[in-house]
Amino acid sequence: MMKVKDGDLDKLGLLFERYNRPLYSFFYRKTFQSQLSEDLVQSVFERMLKYRTTYSGTGAFTTWMFSIARNAHIDHYRKEKRRKEDEILDEERIASDAPTGYMEMDERHQKKLLLEKALEQLDEDKKEVVILSRFEGLKYHEIAEIQGVTESAIKVRMFRAMKDLKQIVTTLSEEYSHE
Amino acid sequence: MSEKNEKLIADYLQGILDEQGKKEVEELIAKGDIDFIDFRAIEQLHDELDMIPVPEPSSEMSHNFYSMLEEEKGSSRVSIRETLREKIAEFLNQITMPRLAYACMLLIVGGFIGNQMNSGDAEIQQLTSEMQNMREMMMVSMLEGPSTTDRLRAVNISAKLPSVDQKAIRALLFTLNNDESINVRVQSIEALSRWGDDPIVREGIVKAIANQESEIVIISLADTMVELGLKNSANEFQRIIDEKDLNGATKLKVENTIAVLS
Repeated sequence: MMKVKDGDLDKLGLLFERYNRPLYSFFYRKTFQSQLSEDLVQSVFERMLKYRTTYSGTGAFTTWMFSIARNAHIDHYRKEKRRKEDEILDEERIASDAPTGYMEMDERHQKKLLLEKALEQLDEDKKEVVILSRFEGLKYHEIAEIQGVTESAIKVRMFRAMKDLKQIVTTLSEEYSHE
Repeated sequence: MSEKNEKLIADYLQGILDEQGKKEVEELIAKGDIDFIDFRAIEQLHDELDMIPVPEPSSEMSHNFYSMLEEEKGSSRVSIRETLREKIAEFLNQITMPRLAYACMLLIVGGFIGNQMNSGDAEIQQLTSEMQNMREMMMVSMLEGPSTTDRLRAVNISAKLPSVDQKAIRALLFTLNNDESINVRVQSIEALSRWGDDPIVREGIVKAIANQESEIVIISLADTMVELGLKNSANEFQRIIDEKDLNGATKLKVENTIAVLS
């Protein structure tokens, strides 16, 4: 990234090849929308170019990159919220109906679906901690830097996210089985 | 539960607890300060999160990025995105109504036979195998035909083959190396990548790099090599850079692919 900052823009291609998939997975697990995730990845690299002079090179590159990714997602969410006031992205979201054919699925498919729906319903900040820690392999102190809170707060958030997820999975499982 | 214990469990989940920390968790469970059933349920859920599937991004994401990079560099070269758009338009123009009707008919017949195969006895298994043979024969014969649309359709038929099929693999590799249509070659790469664990596929697509002239095919191969982790393709790509006069964005893409594979 330092070379990109110094004007060697071709090196951004190297960063793209290394990080486009982790970024795409990050956005996909946040939104569960393929096209939107691809657009947000593009937006992250556009921002990297735009704000390349602000890169200090002191911390881990991934921390800087996921901070940009987080902001790109927040900006998108704000725009969407303005566009569609009734869309809510937090825990107040009303649980959706049972997916078609849920009862006919085998146990593994049911579990997969429940996990996906539960992660979708998790509070945004908690969801982000789970994604960055569990899937992207970031350390708690790196996630703390991204979310602008202390490392202790992130650890508590991680535990509570897992507890909430467990509760949502149980609730959804009961709802889907009774519909 | 106290915040101290919550942080302890978070550390446990990330695998950063030392021996002392692990012992502390065990003691807290033994004393009943941490509910063992809850703890196990959270640990299990943490493991199971891997089950959530994430699809692969489309190749357009890569094209869009390199187009953006080219624009930023102030280049006046035609962007890859435009080229791709032209190729898609060219492909759509090739699809005519009778061909679409034929494709629909094949789909309906296939669907009907597929429905019949759902009851699961020996006869049905035989029918499944015959169906696979039929698909293979149809695919190979269509791949040899003069119509680009038929050849594209043939490549798509391979996606319906339920298991790794050596005849289909050989036919697709031949297509990747020899077909005159760029679209057919690109589609054959996607079809082959489904069997990316097969050693013949892995060897075949690496060898195919040297036979490509189209930059779109080269880019598609580059993405597939990264996806399948085929590190031995780096030398082939290097040769392409040395021997061919590639467009700036394509060259950059290939160079970056080599860097990632190395």
